[in-house]
Amino acid sequence: MVIDIPFIWVAFKEIAKAIPLTLMLAVIPVVIGFFIGLAVTLIREYKVKGLYSIANGYVSFFRGTPAIMHIMLIYFGIPMVLDSMINSLNLPFETNKIPIYLYVIFALSLTAGSYLSEIIRSGISSVAKGQMEAAYSIGMSTPQAMGRILLPQALAKSIPNFTNLSVGFLHTTSIAFLVSQKELTGMANIVASSNLKFLESFIAAGLIYWGISIIMEGIYYLVEKRVQQYSKGGVGSLARD
Amino acid sequence: MGKVFDPSLILEFIPTLVKYLGVTLEILVASIFLGTIIGIAAAIPKLFHIPIVKQLVTIYISFIRGTPIIIQLFLVFYGLPAVLSIINIDISRMDALYFVVITYSLSNGAIFAEIFRGAISAVEFGQTEAAYSIGMTPFQNFTRIVFPQAIRVAFPNIANTVIGSLKDTSLAFTIGVMDMMGRGETIIAATAHALEVYIALSVVYYGVVLILEKGFKVFEKYANRYQGTDTSVA
Repeated sequence: MVIDIPFIWVAFKEIAKAIPLTLMLAVIPVVIGFFIGLAVTLIREYKVKGLYSIANGYVSFFRGTPAIMHIMLIYFGIPMVLDSMINSLNLPFETNKIPIYLYVIFALSLTAGSYLSEIIRSGISSVAKGQMEAAYSIGMSTPQAMGRILLPQALAKSIPNFTNLSVGFLHTTSIAFLVSQKELTGMANIVASSNLKFLESFIAAGLIYWGISIIMEGIYYLVEKRVQQYSKGGVGSLARD
Repeated sequence: MGKVFDPSLILEFIPTLVKYLGVTLEILVASIFLGTIIGIAAAIPKLFHIPIVKQLVTIYISFIRGTPIIIQLFLVFYGLPAVLSIINIDISRMDALYFVVITYSLSNGAIFAEIFRGAISAVEFGQTEAAYSIGMTPFQNFTRIVFPQAIRVAFPNIANTVIGSLKDTSLAFTIGVMDMMGRGETIIAATAHALEVYIALSVVYYGVVLILEKGFKVFEKYANRYQGTDTSVA
Protein backbone atom coordinates (compact mmCIF):
# COMPACT_ATOMS: atom_id res chain seq x y z
CA MET A 1 0.00 0.00 0.00
CA VAL A 2 1.41 3.35 -1.05
CA ILE A 3 0.16 6.63 0.29
CA ASP A 4 -1.51 8.63 -2.48
CA ILE A 5 -0.55 12.17 -1.57
CA PRO A 6 -2.56 14.01 -4.27
CA PHE A 7 -5.67 12.21 -3.06
CA ILE A 8 -5.27 13.82 0.36
CA TRP A 9 -6.05 17.16 -1.28
CA VAL A 10 -9.07 15.69 -3.12
CA ALA A 11 -10.34 14.23 0.14
CA PHE A 12 -9.57 17.48 1.93
CA LYS A 13 -11.86 19.45 -0.40
CA GLU A 14 -14.61 16.86 -0.08
CA ILE A 15 -14.40 16.57 3.72
CA ALA A 16 -14.17 20.34 4.20
CA LYS A 17 -17.83 20.54 3.14
CA ALA A 18 -18.68 19.06 6.54
CA ILE A 19 -17.08 21.91 8.49
CA PRO A 20 -20.34 23.92 9.00
CA LEU A 21 -22.18 20.94 10.53
CA THR A 22 -19.18 20.11 12.69
CA LEU A 23 -18.91 23.67 13.98
CA MET A 24 -22.64 23.72 14.66
CA LEU A 25 -22.37 20.50 16.66
CA ALA A 26 -19.37 21.88 18.52
CA VAL A 27 -20.50 25.44 19.25
CA ILE A 28 -24.23 25.17 20.05
CA PRO A 29 -23.77 22.56 22.83
CA VAL A 30 -21.05 24.66 24.46
CA VAL A 31 -23.30 27.74 24.40
CA ILE A 32 -26.34 25.87 25.77
CA GLY A 33 -24.08 23.99 28.16
CA PHE A 34 -22.76 27.29 29.46
CA PHE A 35 -26.24 28.27 30.68
CA ILE A 36 -26.87 24.79 32.09
CA GLY A 37 -23.50 24.96 33.80
CA LEU A 38 -24.21 28.40 35.23
CA ALA A 39 -27.59 27.30 36.58
CA VAL A 40 -26.10 24.12 38.07
CA THR A 41 -23.25 26.08 39.65
CA LEU A 42 -25.64 28.56 41.27
CA ILE A 43 -27.80 25.68 42.59
CA ARG A 44 -24.73 24.03 44.06
CA GLU A 45 -23.23 27.24 45.47
CA TYR A 46 -26.48 28.30 47.16
CA LYS A 47 -27.42 24.74 48.10
CA VAL A 48 -30.97 25.10 46.73
CA LYS A 49 -33.11 22.53 48.52
CA GLY A 50 -34.26 19.56 46.46
CA LEU A 51 -32.37 20.64 43.35
CA TYR A 52 -29.01 20.43 45.09
CA SER A 53 -28.72 16.67 45.09
CA ILE A 54 -30.12 16.44 41.55
CA ALA A 55 -27.47 18.90 40.36
CA ASN A 56 -24.73 16.94 42.12
CA GLY A 57 -25.94 13.67 40.64
CA TYR A 58 -26.17 15.20 37.18
CA VAL A 59 -22.59 16.53 37.24
CA SER A 60 -21.19 13.35 38.72
CA PHE A 61 -22.98 11.05 36.25
CA PHE A 62 -22.21 13.04 33.10
CA ARG A 63 -18.58 13.47 34.07
CA GLY A 64 -18.38 9.78 34.93
CA THR A 65 -19.66 8.29 31.68
CA PRO A 66 -18.33 8.64 28.12
CA ALA A 67 -20.00 11.20 25.84
CA ILE A 68 -20.83 8.38 23.41
CA MET A 69 -23.17 7.00 26.11
CA HIS A 70 -24.97 10.31 26.39
CA ILE A 71 -25.48 10.46 22.63
CA MET A 72 -26.68 6.85 22.47
CA LEU A 73 -28.95 7.15 25.53
CA ILE A 74 -30.59 10.30 24.14
CA TYR A 75 -30.71 8.95 20.60
CA PHE A 76 -32.48 5.74 21.65
CA GLY A 77 -34.22 6.99 24.79
CA ILE A 78 -35.92 10.22 23.72
CA PRO A 79 -37.82 8.75 20.73
CA MET A 80 -39.06 5.97 23.00
CA VAL A 81 -40.40 8.45 25.57
CA LEU A 82 -41.84 10.71 22.88
CA ASP A 83 -43.44 7.82 21.02
CA SER A 84 -45.26 6.58 24.08
CA MET A 85 -46.46 10.12 24.80
CA ILE A 86 -47.61 10.59 21.22
CA ASN A 87 -49.39 7.26 21.20
CA SER A 88 -51.27 8.01 24.40
CA LEU A 89 -52.25 11.51 23.26
CA ASN A 90 -52.82 10.62 19.60
CA LEU A 91 -50.77 13.53 18.32
CA PRO A 92 -50.12 13.79 14.58
CA PHE A 93 -46.32 13.67 14.88
CA GLU A 94 -43.65 11.12 14.14
CA THR A 95 -40.40 10.99 16.04
CA ASN A 96 -38.45 9.67 13.09
CA LYS A 97 -38.91 13.06 11.45
CA ILE A 98 -36.72 14.69 14.10
CA PRO A 99 -33.28 15.27 12.55
CA ILE A 100 -30.60 13.24 14.31
CA TYR A 101 -28.34 16.23 14.86
CA LEU A 102 -30.90 17.62 17.33
CA TYR A 103 -30.36 14.54 19.51
CA VAL A 104 -26.62 15.00 19.23
CA ILE A 105 -26.88 18.68 20.17
CA PHE A 106 -29.16 17.85 23.10
CA ALA A 107 -26.84 15.11 24.38
CA LEU A 108 -23.67 17.14 23.97
CA SER A 109 -25.32 20.17 25.65
CA LEU A 110 -25.93 18.05 28.73
CA THR A 111 -22.34 16.77 28.59
CA ALA A 112 -20.98 20.31 28.17
CA GLY A 113 -23.19 21.56 31.00
CA SER A 114 -21.67 19.15 33.49
CA TYR A 115 -18.08 20.02 32.53
CA LEU A 116 -18.81 23.75 32.38
CA SER A 117 -20.41 23.76 35.81
CA GLU A 118 -17.14 22.46 37.28
CA ILE A 119 -15.15 25.06 35.33
CA ILE A 120 -17.39 27.92 36.46
CA ARG A 121 -17.30 26.65 40.03
CA SER A 122 -13.52 26.60 40.10
CA GLY A 123 -13.56 30.10 38.57
CA ILE A 124 -15.87 31.34 41.32
CA SER A 125 -13.79 29.80 44.08
CA SER A 126 -10.71 31.51 42.68
CA VAL A 127 -12.25 34.97 43.24
CA ALA A 128 -11.33 36.34 46.67
CA LYS A 129 -14.12 36.23 49.22
CA GLY A 130 -13.59 39.90 50.06
CA GLN A 131 -14.98 40.85 46.63
CA MET A 132 -18.46 39.62 47.53
CA GLU A 133 -18.26 41.15 50.99
CA ALA A 134 -17.21 44.48 49.50
CA ALA A 135 -20.12 44.36 47.04
CA TYR A 136 -22.57 43.70 49.88
CA SER A 137 -21.03 46.42 52.02
CA ILE A 138 -21.80 49.06 49.40
CA GLY A 139 -25.40 47.85 49.33
CA MET A 140 -25.52 45.62 46.25
CA SER A 141 -28.13 42.88 46.17
CA THR A 142 -27.01 39.28 45.63
CA PRO A 143 -27.90 39.26 41.89
CA GLN A 144 -26.10 42.58 41.43
CA ALA A 145 -23.01 41.38 43.28
CA MET A 146 -23.07 38.14 41.30
CA GLY A 147 -23.59 39.73 37.90
CA ARG A 148 -21.34 42.73 38.30
CA ILE A 149 -18.59 41.61 40.63
CA LEU A 150 -18.24 37.87 41.03
CA LEU A 151 -19.12 36.34 37.65
CA PRO A 152 -17.10 38.72 35.45
CA GLN A 153 -13.98 37.90 37.44
CA ALA A 154 -14.78 34.21 37.69
CA LEU A 155 -15.46 33.86 33.95
CA ALA A 156 -12.36 35.82 32.99
CA LYS A 157 -10.29 33.44 35.09
CA SER A 158 -11.99 30.44 33.47
CA ILE A 159 -11.05 31.36 29.89
CA PRO A 160 -8.12 28.90 29.61
CA ASN A 161 -10.47 26.14 30.74
CA PHE A 162 -13.13 27.29 28.25
CA THR A 163 -10.50 27.02 25.51
CA ASN A 164 -9.67 23.44 26.46
CA LEU A 165 -13.33 22.53 26.69
CA SER A 166 -14.27 24.09 23.34
CA VAL A 167 -11.44 22.34 21.54
CA GLY A 168 -12.34 19.16 23.41
CA PHE A 169 -15.92 19.47 22.21
CA LEU A 170 -14.82 19.99 18.65
CA HIS A 171 -13.15 16.60 19.03
CA THR A 172 -16.14 15.09 20.79
CA THR A 173 -18.33 15.85 17.76
CA SER A 174 -16.31 13.20 15.92
CA ILE A 175 -18.33 10.48 17.66
CA ALA A 176 -21.52 11.85 16.09
CA PHE A 177 -20.53 9.81 13.03
CA LEU A 178 -21.58 6.73 14.99
CA VAL A 179 -25.18 7.93 14.69
CA SER A 180 -24.56 8.50 10.96
CA GLN A 181 -23.99 12.24 10.98
CA LYS A 182 -22.05 13.61 8.03
CA GLU A 183 -19.68 15.73 10.09
CA LEU A 184 -15.91 15.67 9.51
CA THR A 185 -15.31 12.10 10.68
CA GLY A 186 -18.50 10.79 9.08
CA MET A 187 -17.59 12.50 5.82
CA ALA A 188 -14.03 11.14 6.02
CA ASN A 189 -15.49 7.69 6.48
CA ILE A 190 -17.68 8.08 3.41
CA VAL A 191 -14.84 9.42 1.26
CA ALA A 192 -12.58 6.66 2.58
CA SER A 193 -14.89 3.78 1.87
CA SER A 194 -16.15 5.03 -1.49
CA ASN A 195 -12.58 5.49 -2.78
CA LEU A 196 -10.96 2.75 -0.67
CA LYS A 197 -8.36 5.25 0.46
CA PHE A 198 -8.71 5.16 4.22
CA LEU A 199 -5.38 6.55 5.32
CA GLU A 200 -5.48 9.53 2.95
CA SER A 201 -9.02 10.50 4.00
CA PHE A 202 -8.25 10.37 7.69
CA ILE A 203 -5.05 12.34 7.18
CA ALA A 204 -7.15 15.03 5.49
CA ALA A 205 -9.73 14.95 8.30
CA GLY A 206 -6.96 15.11 10.89
CA LEU A 207 -5.47 18.18 9.22
CA ILE A 208 -8.87 19.92 9.18
CA TYR A 209 -9.45 19.21 12.87
CA TRP A 210 -5.94 20.35 13.67
CA GLY A 211 -6.45 23.58 11.73
CA ILE A 212 -9.77 24.39 13.37
CA SER A 213 -8.30 23.64 16.81
CA ILE A 214 -5.41 26.04 16.22
CA ILE A 215 -7.80 28.76 14.98
CA MET A 216 -10.05 28.25 18.01
CA GLU A 217 -7.09 28.53 20.37
CA GLY A 218 -6.04 31.71 18.58
CA ILE A 219 -9.48 33.29 18.97
CA TYR A 220 -9.61 32.44 22.66
CA TYR A 221 -6.12 33.83 23.09
CA LEU A 222 -7.31 37.17 21.67
CA VAL A 223 -10.43 37.13 23.87
CA GLU A 224 -8.32 36.35 26.91
CA LYS A 225 -5.91 39.16 26.14
CA ARG A 226 -8.74 41.62 25.78
CA VAL A 227 -10.53 40.53 28.93
CA GLN A 228 -7.33 40.55 30.94
CA GLN A 229 -6.52 44.03 29.67
CA TYR A 230 -9.97 45.22 30.71
CA SER A 231 -9.78 43.80 34.20
CA LYS A 232 -6.52 45.58 34.89
CA GLY A 233 -8.53 48.73 35.49
CA GLY A 234 -10.45 46.87 38.18
CA VAL A 235 -13.77 46.75 36.33
CA GLY A 236 -13.66 43.47 34.42
CA SER A 237 -16.11 42.74 31.64
CA LEU A 238 -18.18 39.65 31.00
CA ALA A 239 -16.29 37.18 28.88
CA ARG A 240 -18.03 37.10 25.54
CA ASP A 241 -18.49 33.46 24.78
CA MET B 1 -36.40 1.52 16.94
CA GLY B 2 -35.78 -1.65 18.89
CA LYS B 3 -38.27 -3.42 21.08
CA VAL B 4 -40.31 -2.28 24.07
CA PHE B 5 -38.19 -0.94 26.92
CA ASP B 6 -37.59 -3.62 29.55
CA PRO B 7 -35.75 -2.42 32.70
CA SER B 8 -35.12 -5.96 33.96
CA LEU B 9 -32.82 -6.54 30.98
CA ILE B 10 -30.44 -3.87 32.29
CA LEU B 11 -29.61 -6.03 35.30
CA GLU B 12 -29.37 -9.06 33.08
CA PHE B 13 -26.85 -7.40 30.73
CA ILE B 14 -24.55 -6.00 33.41
CA PRO B 15 -22.83 -9.32 34.32
CA THR B 16 -22.21 -10.10 30.63
CA LEU B 17 -20.68 -6.68 30.08
CA VAL B 18 -18.58 -6.75 33.26
CA LYS B 19 -16.80 -9.84 31.91
CA TYR B 20 -15.34 -7.59 29.23
CA LEU B 21 -14.33 -4.88 31.68
CA GLY B 22 -10.96 -6.66 31.81
CA VAL B 23 -10.22 -5.77 28.18
CA THR B 24 -11.20 -2.15 28.79
CA LEU B 25 -8.95 -1.95 31.86
CA GLU B 26 -6.16 -3.74 29.97
CA ILE B 27 -6.22 -1.01 27.31
CA LEU B 28 -6.34 1.63 30.04
CA VAL B 29 -3.45 0.28 32.13
CA ALA B 30 -1.21 -0.47 29.14
CA SER B 31 -1.80 2.93 27.56
CA ILE B 32 -1.29 4.81 30.82
CA PHE B 33 1.95 2.91 31.50
CA LEU B 34 3.35 3.40 27.97
CA GLY B 35 1.94 6.94 27.89
CA THR B 36 3.90 7.79 31.04
CA ILE B 37 7.14 6.60 29.43
CA ILE B 38 6.40 8.54 26.22
CA GLY B 39 5.37 11.55 28.29
CA ILE B 40 8.66 11.58 30.23
CA ALA B 41 10.63 11.14 27.01
CA ALA B 42 8.71 13.98 25.37
CA ALA B 43 8.94 16.32 28.36
CA ILE B 44 12.75 16.08 28.61
CA PRO B 45 13.55 17.92 25.33
CA LYS B 46 11.15 20.69 26.32
CA LEU B 47 12.54 21.04 29.85
CA PHE B 48 16.19 21.03 28.73
CA HIS B 49 15.54 23.01 25.52
CA ILE B 50 17.15 20.48 23.17
CA PRO B 51 16.92 22.03 19.67
CA ILE B 52 15.10 20.25 16.79
CA VAL B 53 13.83 17.48 19.11
CA LYS B 54 12.00 20.18 21.06
CA GLN B 55 10.27 21.44 17.90
CA LEU B 56 9.33 17.91 16.86
CA VAL B 57 7.84 17.26 20.29
CA THR B 58 5.90 20.53 20.06
CA ILE B 59 4.38 19.44 16.73
CA TYR B 60 3.58 16.00 18.13
CA ILE B 61 1.82 17.47 21.17
CA SER B 62 -0.02 20.03 19.06
CA PHE B 63 -1.23 17.37 16.64
CA ILE B 64 -2.48 15.05 19.39
CA ARG B 65 -4.22 17.91 21.18
CA GLY B 66 -5.63 19.20 17.90
CA THR B 67 -7.28 16.04 16.56
CA PRO B 68 -9.99 13.76 17.97
CA ILE B 69 -8.87 10.43 19.39
CA ILE B 70 -11.04 8.61 16.86
CA ILE B 71 -9.10 10.17 13.96
CA GLN B 72 -5.84 9.19 15.66
CA LEU B 73 -7.21 5.69 16.06
CA PHE B 74 -8.03 5.44 12.34
CA LEU B 75 -4.68 6.97 11.37
CA VAL B 76 -2.77 4.38 13.40
CA PHE B 77 -5.03 1.56 12.28
CA TYR B 78 -4.63 2.31 8.57
CA GLY B 79 -1.33 4.19 8.67
CA LEU B 80 0.95 1.96 10.71
CA PRO B 81 0.59 -1.09 8.42
CA ALA B 82 1.18 1.17 5.40
CA VAL B 83 4.32 2.67 6.90
CA LEU B 84 5.68 -0.68 8.09
CA SER B 85 4.94 -2.35 4.74
CA ILE B 86 7.56 -0.06 3.21
CA ILE B 87 10.20 -1.88 5.25
CA ASN B 88 8.51 -5.23 4.52
CA ILE B 89 6.91 -5.84 7.89
CA ASP B 90 3.36 -7.09 7.59
CA ILE B 91 1.24 -6.24 10.60
CA SER B 92 -2.10 -6.00 8.83
CA ARG B 93 -3.23 -9.19 10.59
CA MET B 94 -2.24 -7.93 14.03
CA ASP B 95 -4.95 -7.90 16.69
CA ALA B 96 -6.84 -4.59 16.66
CA LEU B 97 -6.24 -4.35 20.41
CA TYR B 98 -2.56 -3.49 19.78
CA PHE B 99 -3.50 -0.62 17.48
CA VAL B 100 -5.78 0.72 20.20
CA VAL B 101 -3.03 0.49 22.82
CA ILE B 102 -0.54 2.23 20.49
CA THR B 103 -2.99 5.06 19.75
CA TYR B 104 -3.99 5.64 23.35
CA SER B 105 -0.36 5.48 24.49
CA LEU B 106 0.62 8.14 21.95
CA SER B 107 -2.38 10.25 22.94
CA ASN B 108 -1.74 9.95 26.68
CA GLY B 109 1.97 10.50 26.11
CA ALA B 110 1.34 13.95 24.63
CA ILE B 111 -0.99 14.93 27.46
CA PHE B 112 1.38 13.59 30.11
CA ALA B 113 4.32 15.43 28.55
CA GLU B 114 2.47 18.71 29.01
CA ILE B 115 1.43 17.81 32.56
CA PHE B 116 4.95 16.78 33.59
CA ARG B 117 6.52 19.83 32.04
CA GLY B 118 4.02 22.15 33.73
CA ALA B 119 4.40 20.44 37.10
CA ILE B 120 8.20 20.47 37.05
CA SER B 121 8.36 24.12 36.04
CA ALA B 122 5.87 24.87 38.83
CA VAL B 123 8.52 23.86 41.38
CA GLU B 124 10.53 26.97 42.24
CA PHE B 125 14.09 27.00 40.98
CA GLY B 126 15.20 28.05 44.45
CA GLN B 127 14.42 24.52 45.58
CA THR B 128 16.96 23.12 43.14
CA GLU B 129 19.51 25.75 44.16
CA ALA B 130 18.97 24.92 47.81
CA ALA B 131 19.40 21.20 47.09
CA TYR B 132 22.67 21.83 45.25
CA SER B 133 23.89 24.16 48.01
CA ILE B 134 23.69 21.36 50.56
CA GLY B 135 25.63 19.10 48.21
CA MET B 136 22.93 16.97 46.55
CA THR B 137 23.63 15.47 43.14
CA PRO B 138 21.23 16.36 40.28
CA PHE B 139 19.72 12.89 40.59
CA GLN B 140 19.16 13.26 44.34
CA ASN B 141 17.73 16.72 43.75
CA PHE B 142 15.24 15.38 41.26
CA THR B 143 14.11 12.31 43.20
CA ARG B 144 14.05 13.85 46.67
CA ILE B 145 13.19 17.52 46.11
CA VAL B 146 11.67 18.29 42.73
CA PHE B 147 9.71 15.11 41.99
CA PRO B 148 7.74 14.91 45.29
CA GLN B 149 6.67 18.52 44.88
CA ALA B 150 5.91 18.17 41.18
CA ILE B 151 3.77 15.06 41.64
CA ARG B 152 1.57 17.02 44.04
CA VAL B 153 0.89 19.62 41.34
CA ALA B 154 0.56 17.06 38.56
CA PHE B 155 -1.60 14.55 40.31
CA PRO B 156 -5.08 16.09 39.84
CA ASN B 157 -4.34 16.43 36.12
CA ILE B 158 -3.01 12.88 35.89
CA ALA B 159 -6.16 11.62 37.62
CA ASN B 160 -8.33 13.53 35.14
CA THR B 161 -6.37 12.10 32.22
CA VAL B 162 -6.75 8.55 33.51
CA ILE B 163 -10.50 8.98 33.91
CA GLY B 164 -10.79 10.68 30.51
CA SER B 165 -8.77 7.88 28.99
CA LEU B 166 -11.06 5.25 30.49
CA LYS B 167 -13.99 6.97 28.83
CA ASP B 168 -12.08 7.25 25.56
CA THR B 169 -11.57 3.47 25.48
CA SER B 170 -15.27 3.28 24.63
CA LEU B 171 -14.28 4.23 21.07
CA ALA B 172 -12.00 1.22 20.57
CA PHE B 173 -14.93 -0.82 19.27
CA THR B 174 -14.96 1.31 16.08
CA ILE B 175 -11.94 -0.65 14.81
CA GLY B 176 -13.39 -3.94 15.98
CA VAL B 177 -11.99 -4.49 19.46
CA MET B 178 -14.09 -6.68 21.74
CA ASP B 179 -14.04 -4.52 24.83
CA MET B 180 -17.06 -3.68 26.98
CA MET B 181 -18.53 -1.37 24.36
CA GLY B 182 -17.83 -3.87 21.58
CA ARG B 183 -19.62 -6.58 23.53
CA GLY B 184 -22.50 -4.14 24.07
CA GLU B 185 -22.77 -3.61 20.32
CA THR B 186 -22.98 -7.36 19.73
CA ILE B 187 -25.72 -7.67 22.35
CA ILE B 188 -27.64 -4.90 20.57
CA ALA B 189 -27.20 -6.68 17.26
CA ALA B 190 -28.50 -9.89 18.81
CA THR B 191 -31.38 -8.57 20.93
CA ALA B 192 -32.25 -5.10 19.51
CA HIS B 193 -32.51 -3.76 23.08
CA ALA B 194 -30.18 -0.81 22.46
CA LEU B 195 -31.32 1.49 25.26
CA GLU B 196 -31.03 -1.19 27.94
CA VAL B 197 -27.50 -2.04 26.81
CA TYR B 198 -26.39 1.59 26.85
CA ILE B 199 -27.90 2.12 30.30
CA ALA B 200 -26.10 -0.99 31.55
CA LEU B 201 -22.84 0.21 30.00
CA SER B 202 -23.27 3.65 31.58
CA VAL B 203 -23.76 2.04 34.98
CA VAL B 204 -20.56 0.01 34.64
CA TYR B 205 -18.47 2.96 33.38
CA TYR B 206 -19.88 5.19 36.10
CA GLY B 207 -19.09 2.58 38.75
CA VAL B 208 -15.48 2.26 37.59
CA VAL B 209 -15.07 6.05 37.49
CA LEU B 210 -16.47 6.39 41.01
CA ILE B 211 -14.01 3.77 42.30
CA LEU B 212 -11.10 5.46 40.50
CA GLU B 213 -12.10 8.86 41.89
CA LYS B 214 -12.20 7.48 45.44
CA GLY B 215 -8.76 5.94 44.99
CA PHE B 216 -7.29 9.13 43.57
CA LYS B 217 -8.70 11.16 46.45
CA VAL B 218 -6.88 8.93 48.93
CA PHE B 219 -3.60 9.34 47.05
CA GLU B 220 -4.10 13.09 46.71
CA LYS B 221 -4.51 13.38 50.47
CA TYR B 222 -1.28 11.41 50.89
CA ALA B 223 0.60 13.59 48.38
CA ASN B 224 -0.64 16.71 50.13
CA ARG B 225 0.11 15.49 53.65
CA TYR B 226 2.65 18.28 54.34
CA GLN B 227 0.46 21.03 52.95
CA GLY B 228 -1.65 21.96 55.96
CA THR B 229 -5.30 22.77 55.43
CA ASP B 230 -5.04 24.88 52.31
CA THR B 231 -4.51 22.37 49.54
CA SER B 232 -5.45 24.52 46.58
CA VAL B 233 -2.80 24.53 43.87
CA ALA B 234 -3.32 27.83 42.16
